[in-house]
Amino acid sequence: MGSLKHEFIRGTALRIAMPWGLAEVRPAVLAVRAFLAEHGLNEEELGACELALAEACNNAVQHTPPSRRSRPIRLEAVLAPLAVELRVTDHGPGFDWPSRVELPEPERECGRGLFLIQALMDTATYLRGPDSNCLLMQRARAEAVVTEGSPVRTAVELERLLAADERIIRDMTDELSSCYESLAAIFRFGREQASQSGIKEFCRRLLEDLLRVTQSRWHILRLLDGGTGELSVFTASDPSLYLKPLQLGDLAMAGRSLELESVQSRRDVWFDQPGMLPPDDPLAVVGGESVGLVHPVYFGDALIGTLVVGGSAATLRLTAAQVNVIHTFSDFLAIQIMNTRYQEERVGALLVARELEIARHIQRSLLLRSLPEVGGVQLSGYCESSGQVGGDFFDALKISDTSMLLLISDVMGSGIPAAMFAVILRGLVRASVAWAAQPAELLGRVNRLLFAELSDVEMFITAQLVHVDLARNRLTVANAGHCPLLVAGEEGRAPRAISPEGMPLGVLPEPEFGEEVLPLESGLRLFLYTDGLTEVSSPDGSEFGTQRLADWLAGCARSRMSVNAMKENLLEELNRFRFDEPLRDDQTFLILSR
Amino acid sequence: MNIRLAIQGDTLSIGGIRELNAANANAFRDQIRSAMSDTLKNIEIDLSQAIFLDSCGLGALISLHKTACSRRGLVRLVNPAMPVQQILELTRMHRIFEIVKAA
Repeated sequence: MGSLKHEFIRGTALRIAMPWGLAEVRPAVLAVRAFLAEHGLNEEELGACELALAEACNNAVQHTPPSRRSRPIRLEAVLAPLAVELRVTDHGPGFDWPSRVELPEPERECGRGLFLIQALMDTATYLRGPDSNCLLMQRARAEAVVTEGSPVRTAVELERLLAADERIIRDMTDELSSCYESLAAIFRFGREQASQSGIKEFCRRLLEDLLRVTQSRWHILRLLDGGTGELSVFTASDPSLYLKPLQLGDLAMAGRSLELESVQSRRDVWFDQPGMLPPDDPLAVVGGESVGLVHPVYFGDALIGTLVVGGSAATLRLTAAQVNVIHTFSDFLAIQIMNTRYQEERVGALLVARELEIARHIQRSLLLRSLPEVGGVQLSGYCESSGQVGGDFFDALKISDTSMLLLISDVMGSGIPAAMFAVILRGLVRASVAWAAQPAELLGRVNRLLFAELSDVEMFITAQLVHVDLARNRLTVANAGHCPLLVAGEEGRAPRAISPEGMPLGVLPEPEFGEEVLPLESGLRLFLYTDGLTEVSSPDGSEFGTQRLADWLAGCARSRMSVNAMKENLLEELNRFRFDEPLRDDQTFLILSR
Repeated sequence: MNIRLAIQGDTLSIGGIRELNAANANAFRDQIRSAMSDTLKNIEIDLSQAIFLDSCGLGALISLHKTACSRRGLVRLVNPAMPVQQILELTRMHRIFEIVKAA
């Protein structure tokens, strides 16, 4: 007994530091038993507590390895009016408390300790920690505190005890009401969250509630922009508190801002006495008499922002319970903010995917199911999207039995807008076939109709029109900023690049479009394309280029290759050239032969 | 351990036990085993004075039960005091020990 250290706490608790050793258990347990007997526990209760405590201490001793035996095992007995609580804290590695404690086989000599603890006590909770483990055991008392045998107390002592009890009850009530408030608020907000229009409004209202619960006057919630490292005010209780953003890495500011300090230390920073706010802290606008707390808001390991809650020194009581409420609210806020961000990202990704799908659908609708047949002219076309939907397309319209209009176009941009303009352009051109024989005039007309819309969204369209007139054996070409078309004859000369003057549609309100007229000779090969075709690159980085295209076309014309064979042949050429390089742009072309 | 040992025929009688706990259970077990000469097969333990028995004490009693069984004998617990009787029943030890009330 001589080695035991006793410490009485408030007269209703006993704490004993027990040195390691099985022989130490019995005296320590007897000391606890004596303490409990003094406070009126009956024989049955004493026996139960004595044995449960002995078993707990034996376990603690047996599970402490030699390296940790210098630290004492702590025994505590706390007497509440309705229950007795026993705690044994050791510094060993602990053990796994079984999910079900059962009696071992009758013949086994050990393994009954935990069973006895559970049988003798009402609750047994084993808290295993990195540095210490605590076995917490409770047993309800048979009867309320017995006065028999307790020492006579003076009126002053009684008053003091009553005051202490009242203080405990008040603290407990506070804690309870705070917990209730935060739970109620969280449930209320949790329910409303589904119908919340914005996270900002949600945060503002939640924090208003927090101010009410904690009797604080003001708050500032800053959120971190992960991209810029800026902590900007998201919500504040007063317009004057929308302070300038703080920069995470701002060293000049680091020593002056309690908010940055809380982020760096990952701890609460208090200014709980008037005058503790540094005068050059941005927070100082709240006035030197203000007191409060800066809490860094984390979601797991991810910094979300900072929350400052403050008020006047006279009314703000930052008790442990209040601080708990602030932490609970802040954890809840962090979850909601992360949740909203995640939802936004998900919805954003869905919208992009949906937009691409719509755009692809539109682009597919532009593809001609069959090409018109006029006289002895053969047509073949190809339009392949590179994935990011662009605005490439071609059209071929039969005007009469001896004429048709070819259109190839590239709307600059991608997604739905590009696809929409492609549809509009095709519609306008189709509606303007009366001007088919004067393609320059037609382009001017379409430009007038589209200019306002295109320049509003800063888009433009390149296009090329070819009027094919079999009656007069000629081609009339007009161009709006599009790459030149190529013409090759079967005589084998180098193909000509035809590119009449003309700005893309949507650039100028009244541009001039030139026209060029070509003879439509037998054996001629006409090649219209968009520049995605010549920009196809090989693994070594070189482009397919117009020269290679011209050489290929000359070869096809010389050998009188059919347009369909030319299409297949060109695609093969391009794929061979590209090898395993991905397609970066759409590939669109239209071939005519006579 | 201050216990009394007596031999009656093939039975070893033990008395004067006040506590069987983690600190003394192994010593108690070893002392009884060494006292079990070849002619003895039963063990009778007077628990009327015993005020405390924990799971280690139970372990020692079970170990002695095995010793007795190996000699086709048994362990008899005599007049256990109420708290000890309750622990024996709680752990269902009354199923393997003969527990007797004797004058």
